[in-house]
Amino acid sequence: MILAYITLTVLWLSLITYAALGGADFGAGVWDLLSFGYSVERKRELINRALGPVWEANHVWLIFLIVGLFTGFPSVFAIVSIVLFVPFSLVLIGIVLRGAAFIFRTHGLGRNNPITMIWSRVFSFASVITPFFLGASAAAVASGHIRAPGGNVSTDVTGATWLSPFAITIGLMAVSLCAVLAAVYLSVEALHTKDEQLVGAFRLRAIIAGALTAVFGALGLLLAPSEAPILWNGMLAHALPVVIVTMLVGLATAAALFTRHFHIARVLVVVETAGLLGSWGISQLPYLIPPDVTVQNSANSPNVLQFMLIGTA
Amino acid sequence: MSDLLAARTQMGTSLAFHIIFAALGVGLPLLMCIAEGLALRRKDVVWMALTRRWARAAAILFAIGAVSGTILSFELGLLWPTWIKFAGAVVGPAFAFEGFAFFLEAIFLGLYLYGWDRLSPRAHWFCSFPIWISGLASAWFIVSANSWMNTPAGFVISHGQVTNIDPLQAMLNPSTPYETIHMILACYVATGFGVAAVYAVSMLRGKRDEYLPSDGLSEARTQSVGRRYKDEYRRKGLLLALAMGAIAIPLQIVSGDANARFLADYQPAKLAAMEGLFHTQAGAPLQIGGLADPQTGKVYYALEIPDGLSILAKFDPNATIKGLDAFAPQDRPNPLPVHTSFDGMVASGFFALFVGWLFWLIYFLRKRRVSENRWLLWGIALSGPLSFLAIELGWMVTELGRQPWVIYGYLRTKDAVTTAPWLNISFLVFAFIYVVLAITMTVLLLRLARSPLPKMEWDELASGQSQSQGERAGV
Ligand code: HDD
Ligand code: HEM
Ligand code: HEM
Repeated sequence: MILAYITLTVLWLSLITYAALGGADFGAGVWDLLSFGYSVERKRELINRALGPVWEANHVWLIFLIVGLFTGFPSVFAIVSIVLFVPFSLVLIGIVLRGAAFIFRTHGLGRNNPITMIWSRVFSFASVITPFFLGASAAAVASGHIRAPGGNVSTDVTGATWLSPFAITIGLMAVSLCAVLAAVYLSVEALHTKDEQLVGAFRLRAIIAGALTAVFGALGLLLAPSEAPILWNGMLAHALPVVIVTMLVGLATAAALFTRHFHIARVLVVVETAGLLGSWGISQLPYLIPPDVTVQNSANSPNVLQFMLIGTA
Repeated sequence: MSDLLAARTQMGTSLAFHIIFAALGVGLPLLMCIAEGLALRRKDVVWMALTRRWARAAAILFAIGAVSGTILSFELGLLWPTWIKFAGAVVGPAFAFEGFAFFLEAIFLGLYLYGWDRLSPRAHWFCSFPIWISGLASAWFIVSANSWMNTPAGFVISHGQVTNIDPLQAMLNPSTPYETIHMILACYVATGFGVAAVYAVSMLRGKRDEYLPSDGLSEARTQSVGRRYKDEYRRKGLLLALAMGAIAIPLQIVSGDANARFLADYQPAKLAAMEGLFHTQAGAPLQIGGLADPQTGKVYYALEIPDGLSILAKFDPNATIKGLDAFAPQDRPNPLPVHTSFDGMVASGFFALFVGWLFWLIYFLRKRRVSENRWLLWGIALSGPLSFLAIELGWMVTELGRQPWVIYGYLRTKDAVTTAPWLNISFLVFAFIYVVLAITMTVLLLRLARSPLPKMEWDELASGQSQSQGERAGV
């Protein structure tokens, strides 16, 4: 049992790392979509320069997460793959197009080549779709509406779980969180290149997106008692301190941005991401897919977990 | 299309796409490592220029490899949830270790591709080692997972539950040494002949290139110096790539032979389908080519060598070999594609062996001069695509020959497929994505191949100063 919780912790840390690094990748795409006006080119260039060397390594966290999940908790991966077949397929299409588009754009064919422009658009749209459906899928799991009696499940084709108001709210929150992450990182990046104008632009964006994230977060909390009761009760029971700290960190991030302490803001926004995902995880324990699947009844046998943990440590 | 067929086709398409990049992901880093090592030892600009050009191609190819590999990881659950519940529990760690190898690979790749002007030349070269080593490791891990599907081990089924799991034994299942060695060699064969083919084509076309004017040289002088470099550049590229291919290919054939003999004991149904052997018989013939028709139970148009199969499989002309009729009809793979794929792989292998060794023979007979014979160059140009074809066909043998099982003897493919709807649409969408990816990537690689060579000056090439702005930003 203890091994199952260690594995789960490792997986959750990968999730947080993927969100903090990969999420910023997505956010950069969101800003790419929204960048217009005189400094578009410079913004794009900054984004390309910041993403280029790290893109592939960020991506590996996602792979880790998937293989870790199906090794550690095989039935969880099987169940969500069936129930959330549609949003997962959309996420997958988004990840693929985004990755490919980024490469094609940077190894580009010159700025004004039509192929580059098309891929650039694909890159930005995919960057919005992917975190949205990832967030919505997470909300679907957390809501407790995915029933798996005896492991038997069927695909949710109507979106009852993954397009509920709660899921949409969390999906939007995921998109805006990615946007904050990217804006904060990019303002630090711009600071290093001493481009004051871009620093200002991304600072403003970070603050706006941060405010939006807070609004969606509050909305999510309002919906939770009725839409995700197990999660809500779990939060009240054992995650309240984490949630409060997370909220305070959010405020501190905003303060750091207002006072132009960008390096501090960068640390805080990562803590904020960890807090959000962490409080979701802690609230949900001991369930993995409430109400039928728990850590206990889905964990792989301890010797396999041990083998995997030792092997990858 | 039925849902099962749609899922199988989507899986097959995804894997067939991915394996091209996977093979290059294992082979190219080794080529780069050797070329850069030669460049540093001899302070040779041409080797350095080759290394840098390969690195730029690798950046594009690796990214597509990562993207297509991600599709696969999702598809394992999206298409085959029952399979992943079983396989994840038992050989999941192989996938996890593969992920770990990717991690190392990605980190050093980032350093390698973006570190030309930040690292010392020697440190930069050192970065190439973990890249090819982890490429090799990831191939070993993933193929050992596939081996487990062929010869499942390391678990017990009691009361319908998978218990007593031993993940190490699962990874080291009987098939692992055979499949992993054969696949890893295949990566070197295909990369070697594939890269050689690029230079063979370039020599055949005798491309006229423009050369960047060098300081202090007249226009005419620049062109002649440039052409000399270009010739040397192609020649060295061809030599190194063909060395790798020609060393790996005989080993490949020997290991393939061992694989087939292994199958005679462990997966006789697959061997029967590979050889188009319908009836169990003593003194089984080897049937080369032809169409194995499962309806009539005959192989048409084949070249038959009496007792050949018995000799190859058991070293005994009278040995009895199991035919497809030794298995219940619902347990037989379809011999038509399996036999044809097998012969295609073997033929491609022998073609590459012939061309590769002929090249070296002529090279040494002519006192180390690269032959410009058009027939030979055409042969090399052809051996590249054929080696990749051999990989694809080899996988068809392995995967189609395992049918109707996905986990041999334990789980049938039809019981592993997802219950999700719209698999046809899913297949069409992904097929469309692959087509778009393939086209765009080809455009980019062709553009890279046509872009002018950098100035051939050591200080600049070794440190990255000579790269244009775009090259540095986008590698
Ligand atoms: C460059 C590619 C290449 C070449 C030239 C060959 N093969 Fe191969 N073969 C592969 C690439 C490959 C592969 C794609 O890598 C496979 C698929 C699964 C595997 O492990 O290797 C494979 C599978 C494979 C299998 C099935 C293994 C199994 O299902 O367990 C057999 C029996 C052979 N090969 C035999 C041969 C023989 C007798 C060859 C003689 C010329 C040969 N191969 C050349
Ligand atoms: C990269 C090289 C590979 C190629 C080209 C390849 C090819 C194929 C093809 C053509 C199919 C469809 C077969 C059919 O259903 O008739 C298939 C199925 C499948 N393959 Fe592979 N394969 C490869 C490697 C692997 C590996 C390494 C694994 C797992 C570790 C794997 C797992 C599967 C699974 C789960 C299926 C679906 C079930 C089935 O059809 O049996 N494959 N593959
Ligand atoms: C079911 C089968 C397979 C799955 C699920 C799979 C998964 C993946 C994933 C997720 C990646 C991307 C890693 C990254 O983010 O950089 C990848 C790349 C790679 N895969 Fe596969 N793979 C499969 C089959 C194979 C096979 C049969 C080989 C054998 C050679 C292979 C070798 C590689 C290599 C060498 C890379 C690195 C490629 C590169 O960076 O260019 N894979 N694979």
